[in-house]
Amino acid sequence: MDFQVRHVIEALPFLLRGALVTVETSFLAVSLGLAVGIVLTVLRQPRIRALEWCSQVYISLMRGTPLFIQILMVFYVLPAVGLDIPRFFAGVIALSLNSGAYVTEIIRGGLSAIPRGQLDAARAMGMSRSLVWRHVVLPQVLMLVLPPLAIEFTSLLKASALLSVIAVVELTRTAQQIIAATFRPIELWLATGALYFVMCFLLGSVTRWLERQAALYRP
Amino acid sequence: MRFDLSVVMDNWHVFARGLAVTVACCALAIAGGLALGLVVALSRISRRTSLRAPASLYVEIIRDTPFLVQAFLVYFLLPRFGLRLGAMTAGVLALAVYAGAGFAESIRGAILSVPRGQMEAARATGMPRLLAMRRIVAPQMMGYLLPALTNQLIGTIKESSVLSIITVPELTMASSIVLGQSFAAIEAYSVVALLYWLLTIGVALVMGALERRALRHRRGLAGPPQARAAGRE
Repeated sequence: MDFQVRHVIEALPFLLRGALVTVETSFLAVSLGLAVGIVLTVLRQPRIRALEWCSQVYISLMRGTPLFIQILMVFYVLPAVGLDIPRFFAGVIALSLNSGAYVTEIIRGGLSAIPRGQLDAARAMGMSRSLVWRHVVLPQVLMLVLPPLAIEFTSLLKASALLSVIAVVELTRTAQQIIAATFRPIELWLATGALYFVMCFLLGSVTRWLERQAALYRP
Repeated sequence: MRFDLSVVMDNWHVFARGLAVTVACCALAIAGGLALGLVVALSRISRRTSLRAPASLYVEIIRDTPFLVQAFLVYFLLPRFGLRLGAMTAGVLALAVYAGAGFAESIRGAILSVPRGQMEAARATGMPRLLAMRRIVAPQMMGYLLPALTNQLIGTIKESSVLSIITVPELTMASSIVLGQSFAAIEAYSVVALLYWLLTIGVALVMGALERRALRHRRGLAGPPQARAAGRE
């Protein structure tokens, strides 16, 4: 086996540019996923049965089917219903819709960590409902959901490799293009894997730091 | 937009064959992954650094890279070592190596979830280590292990869809075949999504039943709901 570092060095600037797209895609997806998660959390309030049931099915469907199928579905079905959007956004939409299901669980975990006594106490002090939310619940929940959101970001970083299949030129797609030109799959895939590893590892350190910070807020 | 049911009817055998390959691949990969995961988990809690370090490195590398890249590496790397494997063998191997890391973490967490004192007390009464592991530690770690394992199994099934990219003729590949013949994207993908959904729900139900069975001793005094909550700690 002849491993040639030369091929890795030549490809590195392109791979790094691809890695930047991967980070951008995942960041957009986790942000939009947060929006989807907030909407689902609101819908999930057990006041209206039908809405609660719908969001339950949505979450089960998103978590019970492969992300790959979801990406293909968004990519092929959106044009079929007359929506012509660039593939980059089709990919981001698919990732966000999927991520939203997981973020809902994260938000639920954060909310359930706030003891009921705090809400009762704040209400007893005469704070209005919105005041309780702004000054008691949200500051604590925001801090508690940050570490799991960082983990979600990390897993989207890896999941976004699947966008290469619908030809979004992120890290994995860049590697495939270079391999098509140079026929050095081993070097390129090892380098690509190493870049993903570095990104995920750094994010892991950030997550552990966030976890230490959040521990101070845990009621 | 309309749903053409005849596409589904005409191609049911394509979907059925894809489903069979997916189930077979996942079953083999899960069996291999569990064996690998057990060895790695025991290595990670071992006192010897020579066992702990490589096991930790393996888990970190697998968990911090996309499965797609791992699958490509296995697919291209093995022939370099003279191993000419079919797509399916390479795919199952890659999936087993991927699943092994997750299983290892679940098993390690489960073993560590049982208080040390349990093992020490069993040893003090004269039980050999293996017997104590089987009779004392293993039954108590199920409350942690089974829910974690359920997530890993579902994750493995979902991740197996990626194998279509390295040309394994499984369920996702079936949707591409049907799409290629009929251009019916909505029909092809929704049937396949539905089959995956049924598969993962089925696994969740079976694992839930196993969990209730394994934890039936906890029902005595505390009652099921609290016992279940305690089991997830």
